[in-house]
Amino acid sequence: MRINCPFCGERGNDEFSYLGDASVVRPDASAPDAADAFYAFAYERRNVAGPTQELWYHSAGCHAWLVVTRDTRTHEISDVKPAQDIALERQNSASTTP
Amino acid sequence: MSDLANGLRAEQHSAIVERPDVAVTHISARRGMLAGLNDAARAAFGVEFPLTPRALDAHGMTIVWAGPEQWLLIEPASKGVDPSLQHAKTFSGFASVVDVSDSRTIFQMAISRPSDVLVQSMGIDFEDTSFKPGDVAITHVSHLGVMVWRLPDGRGYEFACARTYTKDFRSWLDRF
Ligand SMILES: [Zn+2]
Repeated sequence: MRINCPFCGERGNDEFSYLGDASVVRPDASAPDAADAFYAFAYERRNVAGPTQELWYHSAGCHAWLVVTRDTRTHEISDVKPAQDIALERQNSASTTP
Repeated sequence: MSDLANGLRAEQHSAIVERPDVAVTHISARRGMLAGLNDAARAAFGVEFPLTPRALDAHGMTIVWAGPEQWLLIEPASKGVDPSLQHAKTFSGFASVVDVSDSRTIFQMAISRPSDVLVQSMGIDFEDTSFKPGDVAITHVSHLGVMVWRLPDGRGYEFACARTYTKDFRSWLDRF
């Protein structure tokens, strides 16, 4: 498998470390259901057959965190973005929704 | 091994040197400060920091991309002078500036075209048409983290590794 790092270009997956599901978002600690939400955040994962968002770290390269969209059935990678961009997108959409 | 291959090996081997007396400064842009940092770079060096994996010569030093919004400034060191102090002044408020001279070793390989061994040895495309003068890659060789760049003037290649691994990396280079 090869991953196209947005900073370095295409590299072998031996240069990257897998860090887990990138779709989970840290819950609001002050919400009334925070305990349940944190349990789900820490332990519950969907076992998707299809495209998933995963966190990868370019550990032997530029040290950037990446969000990789990968199909678990074919290993086909359809998108790679800097995790920072995704985090900013989420922040912006969270702050614009009332 | 043929005489020709032996000859090439000897010639290339002698062309690898550890650069003595170089000062290496690591620059890391503070969040949201890239524009200001580049204004300061243009004023001080006449160039901007490259935003893609590239190296350029400016102001008597080589500026090497070292990851997103990070660079190494490599320049000759003179005794008792720490150039990072001046860089810290120049980029004050825009970047973190750290003297990493003691934590990096820079090797130079003076060959104008990549040798066959080099092309086959790393996980990146070293072919002449692909890895051009001024190109930079951060990668690993046999699990040792290295940065490699082709000198902007085309005179050869340089490698930076953690000083702790100098001996190991040197023995890897010596296979050439
Ligand atoms: Zn990278």
